[in-house]
Amino acid sequence: MGTEHLERRVVVSGVGQSQIGRQVDRSGLQLTLDAITAAVADAGLRLDDIDGLATFPGGGAANLPGYANGNLYEVQDALGLRTTWRQGIVEGLALPFYGTAQAVATGQARHAVIWRTVKEGSAARNAGGRPAYGSTKPVAEGPLAWLLPVGMLSPVCQVAPYAMRYMHEYGATREQLGWIPVTQRAHAALNPDAVYRTPLTLEAYLESRMISTPMCLYDCDVPADGATAIVVSAIETAGDLRAPVRIEAMAGVVEGRPSWDQWEDMGRVGHGAARAMWERTDLRPADVDVAQLYDGFTIEVVWWLEALGFCSTGEAADFVDGGSRISLGGELPLNTWGGQLSGGRLHAGFGHTAEAVRQLRGEAGERQVDGAQVVALGNVGGFEAGAALLTRW
Amino acid sequence: MDATTGIPPAVTEETAAFWSAAQEGRLVVEQCTACGATSFPPRGICRSCRGRETSTAEITDRGVVYSFTVNHQRWLPDLEVPYAMVLVEFPAHPGVRVTGRLRGCPAEETRIGMLVDIGFEPGPGGQAIPSFIAAGADA
Repeated sequence: MGTEHLERRVVVSGVGQSQIGRQVDRSGLQLTLDAITAAVADAGLRLDDIDGLATFPGGGAANLPGYANGNLYEVQDALGLRTTWRQGIVEGLALPFYGTAQAVATGQARHAVIWRTVKEGSAARNAGGRPAYGSTKPVAEGPLAWLLPVGMLSPVCQVAPYAMRYMHEYGATREQLGWIPVTQRAHAALNPDAVYRTPLTLEAYLESRMISTPMCLYDCDVPADGATAIVVSAIETAGDLRAPVRIEAMAGVVEGRPSWDQWEDMGRVGHGAARAMWERTDLRPADVDVAQLYDGFTIEVVWWLEALGFCSTGEAADFVDGGSRISLGGELPLNTWGGQLSGGRLHAGFGHTAEAVRQLRGEAGERQVDGAQVVALGNVGGFEAGAALLTRW
Repeated sequence: MDATTGIPPAVTEETAAFWSAAQEGRLVVEQCTACGATSFPPRGICRSCRGRETSTAEITDRGVVYSFTVNHQRWLPDLEVPYAMVLVEFPAHPGVRVTGRLRGCPAEETRIGMLVDIGFEPGPGGQAIPSFIAAGADA
């Protein structure tokens, strides 16, 4: 985005989710329709008000069974809509609402909805276990050609060298990182929609099976079934909306080598996006009340805590140690819905955004952070990175 | 440890030279005809000067482990685990980092900063894949 604050011409007007679970025996299309209708109602709009549709990933891109659901044209047909703008995103999803906000801010649509529907929980069950990334295709293409053939058969294998390098450079330990999933599980206990709600102890984390060193089972998010839809509306429609939320600033910067294995400094990720985001606002890290940071893996939370300036580079392990700072009631409550580690892998920041909106409206139930005015979002780990601040209306 | 279970690479105009040299046990990277810079993976363009004329250069030096992971999860039926994978850099060739398996030491002894020799082994689909060999020393 340029220097003009396009993101302040729009609001996040609605969020909606289908049933979420390890396995939900509904089709991806039905989960998608449940989420969209819920999000539009949540915005205080009618379906006929929607004139923009977007989904991730578009084009049917699927490197994992159950990864892509809710075809854009089937959704438009099912809902009987007329649209002036559509977007299927495979690459470039810095934030769930990034392109949608740009489209609405520039008048391409007035009320646009974007959804992300996953059926990876069912797919894993049907395969008898979590399948290899890329196993939906006969050969490894593009960047995956350098990863899958040598045995980097899952995103966890690809992210693990980042964690290994980070721990090597800064002396972080598994005993410290474990407080991320332990704390988020405590938050999930307060979220009736979370996939895993029973308490997790640090001992259980340390004893859990290793997946790809140093990432163990509880460092990884949980494959799930479920859909999340987000409605973005033009700010001049705010009077028609039930409970809009502002986008104070957003940025999506890809710098360095955009590749899992070629990224130059594996100890530092997301800093470009975070820096660009802070340049678009007068707010500072100390103004943030709640953080919803992408957590496909625990190490990604570490990156975002540092990139967004909640602590210095190399200090995130100390920051999360003991869990008190990142708990409800702490200085920076983290992933209050449980995150993807316990809430379910809704993927690509969709679950995080839904929670951010609920916190800012005071609609987060037992896990509500009192008086939440500013929520920080850090989305997607690795080279594709987006950061945003959402603020109360 | 067998490394043939897995997903073979798509071989393209840009990558054919790498994969065919791999079958011969040689590591080749892209080299710019104009400025001499080496780069990996091959893009058919120099990442330093954007020159479109490229050739290949063979790397024979020892590499240094930048980072690594030991995979314990059986992502595919018949996948033999655990195995170590290393991201290897070559001090004389900035811009080149190659990911491969590691042999020559127990997986749990893999360390950042280890020196490794270049090697290959049979991988999926009959394609030889990078498989470095622990040199028993640190950089």
